[in-house]
Amino acid sequence: MLFAQILVDGVLLGGLYGLMALGMALVWGVLNIVNLAHGAFIMLGGYVVYFLFVAGLDPFAALPIAMLALFALGYVIQRGLLNLIVRSALLNTLLFTFGLNVVLTYLAQLLFSADFRTINPSYAGANVTLAGVTVPLAWLAAFLVAVLLAGLLQLLLDRSRLGRAIRATAQNLDAARLYGVDPRQIYAVTFGIGAALAGTAGGLYGLVAQITPYIGATLTAKSFVIAIIGGLENPLLVILGGIVIGLAEALASLYLGPTYSDVISFGLLVLILVLRPARSLKLA
Amino acid sequence: MSAPLLVLHGLVAGYGDVPVLHGVDLTVESGELVALVGSNGAGKTTLLRAVSRLLKSGGEIRFGGTDIAAREPEAVFGLGLVQVPEGRQLFPRMSVEENLLMGAYRRRDRAAIGASLAQSFDLFPVLAARRRQMAGSLSGGEQQMCAIARALMAAPRLLMIDEMSLGLAPIIVDRLLDVLVKIRGQGVTILLVEQDVFAALSVADRGYVLEHGRIVRAASAAELKSDPALQRAYLGAEDAP
Repeated sequence: MLFAQILVDGVLLGGLYGLMALGMALVWGVLNIVNLAHGAFIMLGGYVVYFLFVAGLDPFAALPIAMLALFALGYVIQRGLLNLIVRSALLNTLLFTFGLNVVLTYLAQLLFSADFRTINPSYAGANVTLAGVTVPLAWLAAFLVAVLLAGLLQLLLDRSRLGRAIRATAQNLDAARLYGVDPRQIYAVTFGIGAALAGTAGGLYGLVAQITPYIGATLTAKSFVIAIIGGLENPLLVILGGIVIGLAEALASLYLGPTYSDVISFGLLVLILVLRPARSLKLA
Repeated sequence: MSAPLLVLHGLVAGYGDVPVLHGVDLTVESGELVALVGSNGAGKTTLLRAVSRLLKSGGEIRFGGTDIAAREPEAVFGLGLVQVPEGRQLFPRMSVEENLLMGAYRRRDRAAIGASLAQSFDLFPVLAARRRQMAGSLSGGEQQMCAIARALMAAPRLLMIDEMSLGLAPIIVDRLLDVLVKIRGQGVTILLVEQDVFAALSVADRGYVLEHGRIVRAASAAELKSDPALQRAYLGAEDAP
């Protein structure tokens, strides 16, 4: 039973991991930017939902607000700053987003203090037990939101005019420009969507774990690994990549002890960087 | 006759410190099919990239009476100046139909876009058969058809085609040339940029010969085709190496 429980926990948490990585994979694939501030966006989304919850709003009702707020932030950052260096050497965008991560982290510390925060609605402890396996409802809801958003992103990319333009820009920038696509606009919208997805993931993260200003770096690294596993073109595959990591972590904590769960994603990160450095930087 | 559709005057362009075009003058009248021919490295692609504003340049570029030398590629495209770039430049992991729809990206009228799509499939039936296939998996000839069809989806006033024949079997080239004549008949002005000099001149009204970044001959296609110097240079007649 314990084994089945671990599997369920791993899958549910993995779905949320996948949502965290989704925005990073999208931005990476389209803009060729590895956004080191991605985890900071997740953190900020967590705070938006936390404070709305403290003000009396249900966390799931607060998610769309966090989404919009982070979309706006991402759009403005890309339009105003990142667009200036987006097609220059990879090092420039790495440095920029690294700096952005530092700024956002310490702004959060200044504004929100370093206290641990948890989003704790009345139903936080609610769960259902199926065949001896306990399913926490908040986790299940987070998982469903992740899959839903990945599905919506997939639909947007596959079926809409905007989605076609985003994919076209990713696949052949010159040709996209030749056919009237304004890459600055597409980049800003794409970066905004990436930030919005991160913000939503942050709100859900606050339901299942604690938020501090410093969670960003770990979550960026985790998202990076998942993006590499899931690839950059297919949102549902990214969710699957998240589930792989979620399961691996859950199994590691079962067989090696809970202390080792982070070893999995960071171990994979090191392995990937050692074995396939070219692939990890030229995925797009 | 009204003002020419495209006028280049003293066009200068290059890559970094290396100049490629040294003051090119060229005009295309509305409704014409003009060939720009020259050997590999003469500067043909550079000229097209400058006109479509993918490359910075000096000198004058007027399209439909407007000076476009300082415009962005997206803006130039919006005026109806559409390029089929060298190497087709399709979106490889998008379907044929999606590639065509990208050609109509700036158009908003769904009904008109649908009509253009039907027209494209009419012009290239093989694309209709492969509409759901990824563009990257098409044969070279089919990719070129897809690239031309995508450009037509933009409802161009001037269609510029770069190295249409490159890497294609002669029979495919002939078929594409027939299509160009048909397209011109529908009122689209065409600037065809070709290394295959005599293929291009066989359908063009007029031709320009570009050598080392300069226009060295400008005449009617018929005149150029029968020019012994041109035949020597590009057909490899008698004194060719």
